[in-house]
Amino acid sequence: MSNPVIRTEELCKAFGQLKVLKGISVEIAKGEVVAIIGPSGCGKSTLLRCLNLLETPTSGRVFFQEQEITAPGTNISRVRQDVGMVFQHFHLFPHMTVLKNITYAPIKIEKVPSEEAKDRAMDLLRKVGLAEKADVYPSRLSGGQKQRVAIARALAMRPEVILFDEPTSALDPEMVTEVLEVMRELALSGMTMAIVTHEMGFAREVANRVWFLNEGLLAEDSPPDEFFHNPKHDRAKQFLEKML
Amino acid sequence: MNRLIASYKSLINMRRFSILSRFRRGFPRTAKFLHLRWPLLIQTILVVGLIGGVVGPNLTASVAQEVPKQLTMLTSPDYPPYGYYITSGQDRKIVGFDIDIANTIARELGFELKVGESDFNGLIPALQAKRADFVMAGMTPTPERQKNVDFSEIYYEAKDTIVAPKTSNLKTKEDLKGKTVGVQLGSIQEGNAKKIAEKVEGLKIKQLNKVPDLIQEIKAKRIDAAIIEDTVAKGFTTSNPDLGFSVVPPEGPAGSAIAFPKGSPLVGPFNQVIQKMKTNGELEKLVSKWFSQTIAADGSTTTAAPAPEATTAPAPQAGLNLDFRRIIPDIPFILAGIPVTLVFTLSSVLLGLVWGAALSLLKISKIKPLEWFSFLYTSIFRGTPLLLQLALVYYATPQLTGYNITPYQAGVLTFTLNSGAYMSETIRAGIQAVDKGQSEAAMSLGVPYALMMWDVIMPQALKNILPALVNETIGLLKDSSLVSTIGVVEVLRASQIVGANKYIYFEPLLFAGVIYYLLVMGLTYAASALERRLRRSE
Repeated sequence: MSNPVIRTEELCKAFGQLKVLKGISVEIAKGEVVAIIGPSGCGKSTLLRCLNLLETPTSGRVFFQEQEITAPGTNISRVRQDVGMVFQHFHLFPHMTVLKNITYAPIKIEKVPSEEAKDRAMDLLRKVGLAEKADVYPSRLSGGQKQRVAIARALAMRPEVILFDEPTSALDPEMVTEVLEVMRELALSGMTMAIVTHEMGFAREVANRVWFLNEGLLAEDSPPDEFFHNPKHDRAKQFLEKML
Repeated sequence: MNRLIASYKSLINMRRFSILSRFRRGFPRTAKFLHLRWPLLIQTILVVGLIGGVVGPNLTASVAQEVPKQLTMLTSPDYPPYGYYITSGQDRKIVGFDIDIANTIARELGFELKVGESDFNGLIPALQAKRADFVMAGMTPTPERQKNVDFSEIYYEAKDTIVAPKTSNLKTKEDLKGKTVGVQLGSIQEGNAKKIAEKVEGLKIKQLNKVPDLIQEIKAKRIDAAIIEDTVAKGFTTSNPDLGFSVVPPEGPAGSAIAFPKGSPLVGPFNQVIQKMKTNGELEKLVSKWFSQTIAADGSTTTAAPAPEATTAPAPQAGLNLDFRRIIPDIPFILAGIPVTLVFTLSSVLLGLVWGAALSLLKISKIKPLEWFSFLYTSIFRGTPLLLQLALVYYATPQLTGYNITPYQAGVLTFTLNSGAYMSETIRAGIQAVDKGQSEAAMSLGVPYALMMWDVIMPQALKNILPALVNETIGLLKDSSLVSTIGVVEVLRASQIVGANKYIYFEPLLFAGVIYYLLVMGLTYAASALERRLRRSE
């Protein structure tokens, strides 16, 4: 097996007195889809946000393709070009059209010629089913459409891995499906993904592994079949009873 | 001989770095000075001595072969006939009795003359700041002034008059008992009025910036009379037939002299030329050219109008008696102030925006010393009056840096520094109002901080604060009238100059008011168009 795409060592994160992560060591292999689940406040999102250093860990180390990105002097902007992220609230740039949202980073950061970036963006928009929205501003889109554009924006940088932070939690129920559909396609295409989610059905169907976090610790790390049928941890059992 | 004169002239030309000024500044540090600067002192004495000995009748001939060097003169051109603007047509030209004398002297000494302007009470500070070589503004050499500047001999002696409504019968100093009397701030008449007040019981003095203001105060009955020099009084009473004037005996020093920075080597040569002009009748000619005549509306001179006493004055009427026809020839002169006001405002706003953005970035930088600097800066510039900052920048810059900043540059600099302080707070609030998710989204795409601020955060912040920026711009546009105090001829000053020339008050002011209003309306319209355009994304 090749090197993990992302690996952490004894990752801790505290906000003041509040210890959110208490030493987490995990790794994600290439092509793996990891679902990160757990009760609210267990540190799922914090863990995810530590993986591209949107949160700075209090201690412990994070590696991307075996390069330690928590080391001082790391060019974190360069690393983030290869680590995409999709947010609960989309965070599209409101002053740019859909197309501009997607081409902005490739043109400005990756220095892709603008014609090429535009072609790439249109391909992605077709994939997420929004080619006809290329020239509208995000304010004209529904939540589901915004999230699909956000996924296309992350993909435009051709990342090695994409981090999803509760991508469907802010959506009306009828829009959840369209976003999950796009994510399912993406998983099938072999993209490495880490997904913080409450969609148990989706996790069960799409993920290769499930991380169950409880009180800042990794309580369980199993394949979905095993986790959903036979959870080892008591807290996981309780959690699943409530969710399913 | 030629060589000596040349070296004296180059000495004057280098006045800001001159031995003389270094000598004076260095003086208090005695011990060091005594060791190191004796040669300079000796040089200085030599130079001064040379000037005394050298400048003689053959001066004109000797310096004629030299490249002409420039002399800068400052005046307060709201004081006809000494110095005032020709305001009909767009040619901005200061003319007057003082200007003619200055030109004659400069020509005699082989210099080129450059005429600058300032408010009267800013003239002596300007000399002390070495902004000019000399000042001519009908200025009387009082002992107080002599402490700060050097004077030539008197070139013209004026008389004080009491100007008051004809119906009031205020004619002598004694009549002023218990009355309120107006004088121009910093003028010789102010000092004389104080002396009268010592003898005449209950006399109250009110100081105003300009003679036209005094006239309006009399008409508004806020003061009973004003003490104004005779020639000036003549002009104003002719234009305002309900007022009359009576000459009063002099109160201490009188007469006009040329003022120089302390220790200026020019005093000697100037006195020689004045002496020469007195003996050859040239001065007499200029006196009769300017003082026996009245200044007509178009700036040309005509023969004297009938003496005010003789005019059949209409009975004083209530109301302002506006007659805008009087300023029609001067409209182009006032309109020429518009581009000055606009360019001034826009450059201050744009530079202020850039500076304000930089300060706002310091404020959110999380680097403590930078944050402190920025907050301290803002509190100082928001906590002190703009007018005060303007005066400091204009008068202190030459003394601190040696750079002779122009009024316009001083204005733009001050307004940039000041509006930067206000804008930095607005922009900071605008930046902080942008959803934190925006910067996280940009960061997660690998966008570096600077690019993120420029492409993602700033456009959204600016859109949020656009109405506040428009307010700031409108405020600046109107505040730009403050630079009239340091002599930038923008809309307000242009209209005041017209008022001073025509001895009228309200018409040019109201006209300026209309211009400002229309400019603000135009600006508001442009801003709302811009706002609509930015809203496309909503």
